[in-house]
Amino acid sequence: MNPTYLLIIHGLVAVALLGAVTHQAISVWSAARKPAAASFVTRLRAVPATSYANAVVLLYLVSTFLGGWLYPAYRLNVRVVLEQLQMPAANGSFELKEHFAMLGLAMLPAYWYFWRASLEPAYARARVALTSLLAFFVWWNFLVGHILNNIRGFGS
Amino acid sequence: MNQNARLPVFVIVFSLATVIAYVVAVIYNYALFTYHPATGEFGLGVEKARDAPAMYWYGWIATSTITGAVAGLIACALPQGLTRRLPAALAWLAPLIATLVLGYLLRNFFLH
Repeated sequence: MNPTYLLIIHGLVAVALLGAVTHQAISVWSAARKPAAASFVTRLRAVPATSYANAVVLLYLVSTFLGGWLYPAYRLNVRVVLEQLQMPAANGSFELKEHFAMLGLAMLPAYWYFWRASLEPAYARARVALTSLLAFFVWWNFLVGHILNNIRGFGS
Repeated sequence: MNQNARLPVFVIVFSLATVIAYVVAVIYNYALFTYHPATGEFGLGVEKARDAPAMYWYGWIATSTITGAVAGLIACALPQGLTRRLPAALAWLAPLIATLVLGYLLRNFFLH
């Protein structure tokens, strides 16, 4: 498939993932109890965090798969140019992006388990930590991907 | 050990072992295979770049995921008394520490 189309699909999936994991992270950090007739922020905080877990897992897997599919095109057509342009921070940011993507994959079974299979109060801290870390990885990867595409998008 | 008791052991140990194996694989380049994107060829283990850059990331993922899965299965087979008090925090502390380690390893990209 044309890398530009793949990149657009990857971006759209990433937007959905960003929205889901951000909602969940906000909810676990400051849950609101009375959403009715409340402000936008209160309703945002009141979303049922549990209901996002399956969507986050699925979107993360799809997004990472698409990113992995695109990676060779990046390696051949973008990274080389970034090196020629002497932009080490941009290259380093992408190196972190690939590592964060894998760390998120490694966490995903635990994330799913503590959200879907066991909602014991004893695991509340694990849910907050896993969600926060996953949200950080997703935000980093989204922003770095967006910035790198601005520097040298596929097809440029 | 019943299946309900095994699942948390597996997911915690999988996360911990996969993350540790990934960091070790990155540092020492223990890629299970190499991908050559210019030609679309795969090579077993670590191969040097040919005419174009070689990619090890897929190989690191394979190395660490298999290691994590094997470690998780071994942990599930251990007596319940050994794994009952396995802290759930390991599932997120390992990736958190790995984030800091990998950031440190890549610091030179940002310090120029």
